[in-house]
Amino acid sequence: MTLSRRWLWAALLAGTLLVAVVVVTWLDAMAAVRDTPGDPPPALVALLLRPIADGPNAEVIRRGRALTVAGDCVGCHTRADGLPFAGGLGIKTPFGVIFSPNLTGDRATGIGAWTADEFARAMAHGIGRGGEHLYPAFPYTYFRTVTRGDDDAILAYLKTLPPVRYTPPANRLVFPVSLRPAIALWNAAFLPSAAVRPNRSPEWNRGAYLVDGLGHCGVCHTPKTVALSDKAGEYLRGGKLDHWLAPDLTGNPRTGLGRWSATDIVEYLRTARNARANAAGPMAEVVTYSTALMSDADLASIAAYLKTLPASPEAVAVAPDAGAMRRGAAIYVDACASCHLADGRGQPRLFPPLPGNAGLQQASSTTLLHVILAGARTGPTPARPTATTMPSFAWKLTDGEVADVSTYVRNAWGNRAAPVGGDDARAMRRALRLTDAILPRPR
Amino acid sequence: MTHADDPARGMIGRRQLFALGAAGALGAAARHDGMVGGTSERIAGTLPWADGQADAPDDAIRAGTAFLTTAERAFVTAAADRLIPPDPTGPSASQADVPDFIDRQLAGGFGHGEHYYLAGPWAKGLPSQGYQSRLTPAAYYRAAIAAVADHVGREHGGKAFADLAPTDQDAVLKALEAGKVDLGQVDAKQFFAMFLQNVKEGYFSDPLYGGNRDMAAWKMIGFPGAHYDYSEWVTRHGEPVPLAPVGLTGRPGWRKA
Repeated sequence: MTLSRRWLWAALLAGTLLVAVVVVTWLDAMAAVRDTPGDPPPALVALLLRPIADGPNAEVIRRGRALTVAGDCVGCHTRADGLPFAGGLGIKTPFGVIFSPNLTGDRATGIGAWTADEFARAMAHGIGRGGEHLYPAFPYTYFRTVTRGDDDAILAYLKTLPPVRYTPPANRLVFPVSLRPAIALWNAAFLPSAAVRPNRSPEWNRGAYLVDGLGHCGVCHTPKTVALSDKAGEYLRGGKLDHWLAPDLTGNPRTGLGRWSATDIVEYLRTARNARANAAGPMAEVVTYSTALMSDADLASIAAYLKTLPASPEAVAVAPDAGAMRRGAAIYVDACASCHLADGRGQPRLFPPLPGNAGLQQASSTTLLHVILAGARTGPTPARPTATTMPSFAWKLTDGEVADVSTYVRNAWGNRAAPVGGDDARAMRRALRLTDAILPRPR
Repeated sequence: MTHADDPARGMIGRRQLFALGAAGALGAAARHDGMVGGTSERIAGTLPWADGQADAPDDAIRAGTAFLTTAERAFVTAAADRLIPPDPTGPSASQADVPDFIDRQLAGGFGHGEHYYLAGPWAKGLPSQGYQSRLTPAAYYRAAIAAVADHVGREHGGKAFADLAPTDQDAVLKALEAGKVDLGQVDAKQFFAMFLQNVKEGYFSDPLYGGNRDMAAWKMIGFPGAHYDYSEWVTRHGEPVPLAPVGLTGRPGWRKA
């Protein structure tokens, strides 16, 4: 190998890593931007549920809308107070801001003039209409497995959207991230090829197609390497995103879906609640705008597929400190038991039961700390339109108290998970920019 | 956390009150007990909720605020201890930090008269009409304590109230209660009633507000404190509730090593 070629490889690797770091940061920031408090814009859900009139192309358009819903496209392509699919949602990163494009049928500013070939190329290869590389904040890494027929149907539906003349602001990115060709390096290194499916039922294959394609579940639920490629052998075992932990979806009975029936999974995706858990945080939005509006058959397929994922390995548990458990129990009785009840059984579908709760027992306490400190809201759905909420306890509990009660609920009632330290609670409080407990402590 | 920036928690100005008219004033939502503030809210769709926010107690209750001078505090302490002296069933008012509670309240929203209408006309009100003064409660306390000090000095050879024998202190307080002392711009009867009320509040309110030290008053009467609800006890009639008293800032069991 000549010297110049060695330099070329070094430059390629460095560039690839830089882009990967940027992408990780984008993904981390996406949920924060999407997580706007308040009601879902009723117009948005209404638009996604509006009957499509019979016509020559109606079946394709209906299928295209179902696929658009499955992909949760509105999640990123609608800005706060903006019109549906008109784009302009700013994704903030330390390197600048990237704005989602307009997907409405406007020819000048939307995708009204796109051809089916151009759209399919964007979905599969992340190439824009003018041949430019799209930033991988657009999950073409997942969408590349979507069939050409489905791509065409999605485009057909998008072109029926009321055209909105709106150009999102130009991306504000620093050099060299501002250079789109840099993305090619990342693509060359990490773009996965479509998975080969074993011989399974049509339902299973449909579920796999949705989970790994339009659903892009692995964006959050599969842990990533520093270069954003999926960690080898850790498919859907849970990943961190924006101070949340997207939990383990494998058959692990403690941390995954091992104790959930397929019916439990369908109910969760349809209503944002079931007898075991409520959907909060970024997943609440996914349910509200996407899974709650999907067909029964597609939800059943997703459940059937997820139920076949082999369990992740059992975590090694460290016994919690007896003092922390005692203090945690006292805090639990006074601050939590009113809703979750003294024995933790809660009010299923209202206040999630805590014994056996998978979300509590993840290896990382990220979601638990987030929920205790910032509170949480279950996503509103047509089936259960009233969003239940948990208040923030940041004002009331000190870092040590948050840690002790977290350790307690992770290890009471037969639960088992690593103890939580005051430093973890402090880091989460800082990350969420919450103030300290405001109250004077009794002497 | 932005609860302190929430404009709905601020006071409604007197001019605004006039502008709103009686109907508007009655319609204004009292977000917190005893506080008129904020405009009414129309809630539709889903329940309001915002990440990281909670209806936490007001910052004004934080420790470190003080209004009373040393002499004023000596009066408040001595007088409160005649209203609630120490006995075998419980601590005295000052042992329960009631003077701290009153001092903090006078330094905060209550002292500033945030929840009172203080503009004219200043006709003498009926007892049923509550607080009637052009003074804020803090200024009212200041004027009253000064007038009582003058009265006590005249009657007891220049002594301060705190230095009187308990029987003499009781006589002064009884005279105030009966309205037999002229306190100038302050009505003695009204001041006594207000002071008695504030002493009781300091003795029994959540320790967060500075009084009820160690939740002693709650332990005395068997009150389990600031639990969110008692849903698991609703159907258990006649049973003692063994829950340890807990305040908004917790209890010792939360912090024991």
